[in-house]
Amino acid sequence: MTKHSIMFIDDEKIVGDMAKLSFEQDGYEVETFLDGESALARLQQKRFDVVVTDMKMKGIDGLEVLRTVKKLYPGIKVIMITAFANLDVAIEALRDDVHDFFPKPVKIKELKASVKRALGEG
Amino acid sequence: MQKKFFRRLTEILGRDRIAASDLAARFRAFQAVLDGNNRTLEAMTEMGEKLGGDYLFDINYTKSAYAHLHAAISDSLRNFNLLTDHQYPQLTNTLTRIDILVQRMLSSAGPLSDLLLVFYPEITWDLAEEVGGKNYHLAEMANSLHLRVPEAFALTIAAFASFLRHNHLEGRLTGLANGDDADLTELRAAILAGDFPDDFRASLAFALEKMRARLGEGATLAVRSSAEEEDGDFSFAGQFETVLNVPCRVDAVLNAYKEVVASLFQVNATAYQRQLGYELGKLKMAVGCVAMIEARTSGVIYTVASGKDRGRMAISAAWGLGKGVVDGLIDADLYTVAKGETPQLVERRIGNKAQMVVNRGKEGIETLETPADRRQIACLNEAEVLDLARQAQAIETHYKAPQDIEWAIDTTGRCYILQARALRVEESAEETAQSPKEAELAGYPVLLRNQGVVVQRGATAGKVFLLQHLDELDKIPKGCVLVARHDSPLFVQAIPFLNAIITDIGSSTSHMASICREFNIPTVVNTGQATAVLKHGREITLQAREGGEFVVYEGIVQSLLREERQTGAKLRELYEFRRQKYIMRYIAPLNLVNPLEQEFVPEKCKTVHDLVRFMHEKSVQALVASAERKGRGLGRFFGGKSALHRLALPIPVQLLVIDLGGGLRGGIGKKEADFAQVASVPLRAVLAGMLSPGVWQSEGAALRGADLLSGMTRTADITGGGAGLAGHNVAMASKEYVNMSLRFGYHFNMLDCYCSDTPRNNHIYFRFVGGAAAITNRSRRISLMAQVLAEYGFALKAKGDLLVGRLSGLSREEIEKILGQIGRLIGYTRQLDARLDSDEAASTLARRFLAGDYRLDL
Repeated sequence: MTKHSIMFIDDEKIVGDMAKLSFEQDGYEVETFLDGESALARLQQKRFDVVVTDMKMKGIDGLEVLRTVKKLYPGIKVIMITAFANLDVAIEALRDDVHDFFPKPVKIKELKASVKRALGEG
Repeated sequence: MQKKFFRRLTEILGRDRIAASDLAARFRAFQAVLDGNNRTLEAMTEMGEKLGGDYLFDINYTKSAYAHLHAAISDSLRNFNLLTDHQYPQLTNTLTRIDILVQRMLSSAGPLSDLLLVFYPEITWDLAEEVGGKNYHLAEMANSLHLRVPEAFALTIAAFASFLRHNHLEGRLTGLANGDDADLTELRAAILAGDFPDDFRASLAFALEKMRARLGEGATLAVRSSAEEEDGDFSFAGQFETVLNVPCRVDAVLNAYKEVVASLFQVNATAYQRQLGYELGKLKMAVGCVAMIEARTSGVIYTVASGKDRGRMAISAAWGLGKGVVDGLIDADLYTVAKGETPQLVERRIGNKAQMVVNRGKEGIETLETPADRRQIACLNEAEVLDLARQAQAIETHYKAPQDIEWAIDTTGRCYILQARALRVEESAEETAQSPKEAELAGYPVLLRNQGVVVQRGATAGKVFLLQHLDELDKIPKGCVLVARHDSPLFVQAIPFLNAIITDIGSSTSHMASICREFNIPTVVNTGQATAVLKHGREITLQAREGGEFVVYEGIVQSLLREERQTGAKLRELYEFRRQKYIMRYIAPLNLVNPLEQEFVPEKCKTVHDLVRFMHEKSVQALVASAERKGRGLGRFFGGKSALHRLALPIPVQLLVIDLGGGLRGGIGKKEADFAQVASVPLRAVLAGMLSPGVWQSEGAALRGADLLSGMTRTADITGGGAGLAGHNVAMASKEYVNMSLRFGYHFNMLDCYCSDTPRNNHIYFRFVGGAAAITNRSRRISLMAQVLAEYGFALKAKGDLLVGRLSGLSREEIEKILGQIGRLIGYTRQLDARLDSDEAASTLARRFLAGDYRLDL
């Protein structure tokens, strides 16, 4: 069985690093990105099973990542995490078919459960 | 100008002070301290959880969480200063220091001070970053554990920064992350060719002169690395250069310094840094200059001999310098010691020490053939082995983790600790990841499940140690599961040895709970029944999960323990994770434990938790002191409006109650009140105890003559303004608080209690001073009271005829129950003296009292 792959985007390195360690322990393949631009470039080359993205980033932000992913690969589920949760953003993300939405700090266990659900394993 | 001065004066005298007579304001300040402390502890708990590895967090979270915590402790401190009339200005300094350290950590700023050089005895806790891990730990072993370490000083990371700046090397460091091996080689060459600023040379010259004066002209130094974090969570073992036998001359030390600093950029060392998540060029290096020891015997101690047996340590030793042992070149002696209060030498294997490494001074280190007659004899005697073992245990206990310790014994027989660092204990190979199957667990009876509060998750196992009294704390064996009725911050002395804690009563925000989280000790409180269900000496396994589920199994469930070891730990290898988590070092650990100890002073406060603890204790004392002071100038309370009432009780005790607000119901303005009107929860509880049937025996033997009269009748004429109350029966009460002084003849009882619905705020302080009877009887009386109070978990101090007991963190119901017992004890003991004609009598009466039998005849 091949490993499920997760794309993880957050402009703070520690968030991606921690996620990578935690998810790799559970047998996922994880690639991390520090900005939306490099993540979207990578998406042109590789299809991931789940995308987890920070909301607020310089340049291309989480919402734009979400829209692009949905355009390129409508089937891929996107999970959004943000330190600046507000209702408007959440509603906008929901409209764009976000799979899940978490405020930071997010409990790794809950994020893992959400990823599992996104993969239809939950 | 004058106006300004006047304003300043008013500020100093007025706004920042509470008038001595304004007890109500003091009480408000007291409550504000408690409130600030609570919020601080809550914020601390929250941060501990979020930064613990179970959450994805970013720097914004850490910053805002810390800001929240800092605001809370600042509130608390401001009110504390008001309450105590600014008696402890050091606390403000300590909080400022902590704040600077944390802010620096959060902003990754450079060195805190421009201190270039510091001698080991001057290395204090807040210099840890400046001097690097290795220097700090070695100095700490001398300064805190009082172990012998060689004379030494540290060249700080400020010195490192100044050296780089002087040689214009900072720019090269920033570009290093993207560089290759050639860049590293070039950088090392530039470092070795570097020069030093004048103040660097001058400080060093001064230090070396001091070393020569202490050690003699011929003394030499080991110049060694002490990088940030080195010997902390990560050992950096063997990554950096050490230069031995450096003469105490400026140029020689400077050359050695450059060699050590250059080794930061050796290819193998940089690989290690990358592995730990350091961006190359970011790691800062302090250096230690440590006097060389003329070693007769040296070696290494592993405080855990193997992953399978953590109860034994291994000491290897060889003649001469330790290099041969460290490098594994010599067939060293191996001594195995069973750890414990009195360590036991259990095995001795004498190596064939064909070679030895010796110090040839200027010629350097030389490996020689060992003289034939010394090859196969033990290079340590049993006393030396056990002495080393005791020191190693102290170090392991202090750092709460297995240690790898280097030591040397000099030609005069003096033993020195040269280095101690964390020892990574490999798990044995068969322990592979595998979740335990339900079927596997079915074989283990469940003793407790889910009824209680999980404070710290984890799976662990051990023998139950059922704690009956706090004075058994020092009897708790290592690796046991502590089962106790209440939680207590006093457990901190045992926590490093414990595998788990389970209590009947307790809360997840108590001091103990914070400590358990800090040390990752699986802990469950408030089970209600642990002491009844878990039998002393029985082996159990606790599995506590996040979310509050837990199970206690009978027996050792190996599969659960294996599972636990697999997860976690990895996160520590992320530098940024460690950096943010490390601010907890200045927040969570508790160094001040027992308020009755001499160590309980402002100077010993190192963390936010220490400040909270200290302020709590001293606030109680300050309130008591002001209440006592206030008793002497009564008429002016509350703007002249009388809040003072004579309490009519159906026992021969006359008590004045000062109502601080909500202490009495109805009848305000009247001068008489009765028991039914007492609304103060703690006052009511203690009075109810005093009124218990059988306690107040009028035929009591000591109730006679002048003592009786003086105690019962000396109630002030409260109608007269300004009548003194000193030495009389007074209770100051609010709804949730009472401070009561009761005097019967020569017996003096003082009770201070806060009793609310928030267990963390609650405390009982009880003081008894007795006199009149012969001194042996007095101490028997104290002994009887101590036996009773100990039953309820009081921390006690008894001296002569003085007894002080403190208790805190219990629920309102528990406090009420205990107050009832104190009320009974107050009534009971006042008539005791004549009966206590033997030590056995005190014990017998204590046992009877606890059983509800208040008869005095033996």
